[in-house]
Amino acid sequence: MAYLYFSLALVAVYIGITLLLHLQFGRVGIVNFGVVGFWGLGMYAHGVFMVTLGLPWLVALLLATLLVGLFALALGALVLRLDGQSVLVATLAFATIVLHLVTTEKWLTGGVVGFGTIEYPFDFGAATEPAYLALILAFVAVVLVYALRLDSSAYGRLLSAIRDNEPLAHGLGKPTFRHKLIFFAVTSAGMGLFGGLSASLNQFLTPNMIAPGVTFTAWIALVLGGKDHPWGAIIGVCATVGLFDVFIETFAPIPADYALLVPNIKLMLYGAFLVVIMLYRPSGVLGGYGRRG
Amino acid sequence: MWLLTDSIYIGLIQAAPLILATMGFTLIYYLNGFINVTYAENITFGAYFASVFQTFLGFGFFVSIVPAVLLAGLFSVLTFVCVFRPAMARGVGPTEMIILSVGLSFFFRYGATLVFGNNPYFLENANPQYWTVLGKGITDTQVAALTLVAVVTIGLLFFIYRTRWGEMMRALANNRDLAEASGIDPARVSMLIWFIAGAAGGLAGIFFGVFALVTPLMGWNMILIIIMLSIVGGIGSVRGALIASVAAGILTAAITLVSQPLYAEIILLLVFIGVLRLRWKRA
Repeated sequence: MAYLYFSLALVAVYIGITLLLHLQFGRVGIVNFGVVGFWGLGMYAHGVFMVTLGLPWLVALLLATLLVGLFALALGALVLRLDGQSVLVATLAFATIVLHLVTTEKWLTGGVVGFGTIEYPFDFGAATEPAYLALILAFVAVVLVYALRLDSSAYGRLLSAIRDNEPLAHGLGKPTFRHKLIFFAVTSAGMGLFGGLSASLNQFLTPNMIAPGVTFTAWIALVLGGKDHPWGAIIGVCATVGLFDVFIETFAPIPADYALLVPNIKLMLYGAFLVVIMLYRPSGVLGGYGRRG
Repeated sequence: MWLLTDSIYIGLIQAAPLILATMGFTLIYYLNGFINVTYAENITFGAYFASVFQTFLGFGFFVSIVPAVLLAGLFSVLTFVCVFRPAMARGVGPTEMIILSVGLSFFFRYGATLVFGNNPYFLENANPQYWTVLGKGITDTQVAALTLVAVVTIGLLFFIYRTRWGEMMRALANNRDLAEASGIDPARVSMLIWFIAGAAGGLAGIFFGVFALVTPLMGWNMILIIIMLSIVGGIGSVRGALIASVAAGILTAAITLVSQPLYAEIILLLVFIGVLRLRWKRA
């Protein structure tokens, strides 16, 4: 039962970062291929603040989120003016740098040996895992409500204008770069927050947790569900992480000999899905954004 | 002083496959205007093809290069004809093309993992020859790598700037509509370029493999550096790819000699982010 709660919490975390990716890519058009960099930095920062510095759980989480936000601000200031391809490559490079630093800085992160143990913020006995799942879901709900309300706000319209025609929005006197930069920093900090929440969930951190597969999973989920809708992120994550990491791992009777093949088959199918969607339905299951009343 | 000479020596040898891969990659980027991440699998598959010829068919190392390179070129053309050309015809934008190519890359990488397993394959030169040049030891594999780099570079420069096909490629890259109106068949030119690029990538993979190991992740681990080198060197510039790769190889060797290889990659990536930023300012 504890494992099921862990899997469901994993789905919740993925919904969180995919919603934030929807905000970045679907709303403003920022091609962030470094999702795992922000998420992983938040996870390790939370762990180091808690275990090495002995800070309380909540303080560590807030500091980790702030730290990721500052890194995102610096990276964004450098590259957000560039075209989409450059932003993609730069964010991917950022995530790779984070992965390498976690591997090399053994004094701080334990390197490939790993780092732990990061405790839950509370201990309710058997109810600890469900309570922690509820906590993560509460954060997800906040992001979801924000994403849904953004549609009908003046700020949301400004973001749409930046996505669709930035020179025009700039010409109308909007400080487009500043808005884009702050929005990128805040949403990336959100990814760091979900990383911090994942630290207690995983308890023991190793560099292979922050491999590019996380970024790719968030992207396939978003593209599959539909990048222009908050619900698209949720549908996408349920159809990918929910199907493979919860449903099949928990309920499908797979012989032990083949169990090792499942992750490879999963990533291969993700790849095939992505190709087919980009070719035949680039706006995902839910379709493109249109006039929404 | 030893650091300088050793870095140049090791850097040049290690950069040899990187130069080949970057040259191939930059051609596709130039012609079709998008970053083809599936090129990573082209590199990986080149090494696997050679390894299969060597392990299962008993070919010698240098003999197995020829069919492996041809197959890698064919693989590249197939990805273009079956996926990328239809996608371009459907008007998929350059950023979406990258996402698509990442998907295709995952499909092939984990497909290859299912077939070959996670354990590394070996590519080796069974009868290595050792020579001494200017006081440094060098093997015949390394000499072959450097010779092939020189041959491919000169061949590509000649092809792009001196032949009719090269001229057609540049015409298509610069103004597709005008080129098509002038009677250039984009499909044939593109297929030729994708074949040359794929063959160069496969050759790069073979040398990556023989200098280290053949694993499903070998191409993916290199692709980010290759993308960055081709941007820094100037998209479509064979000479730029050569200079950027050699510089990166020597820098990597120097940092690896005094510290560890991961720091070399971190510093390279930081330099690249800085260069991306500076190039924007100049434009």
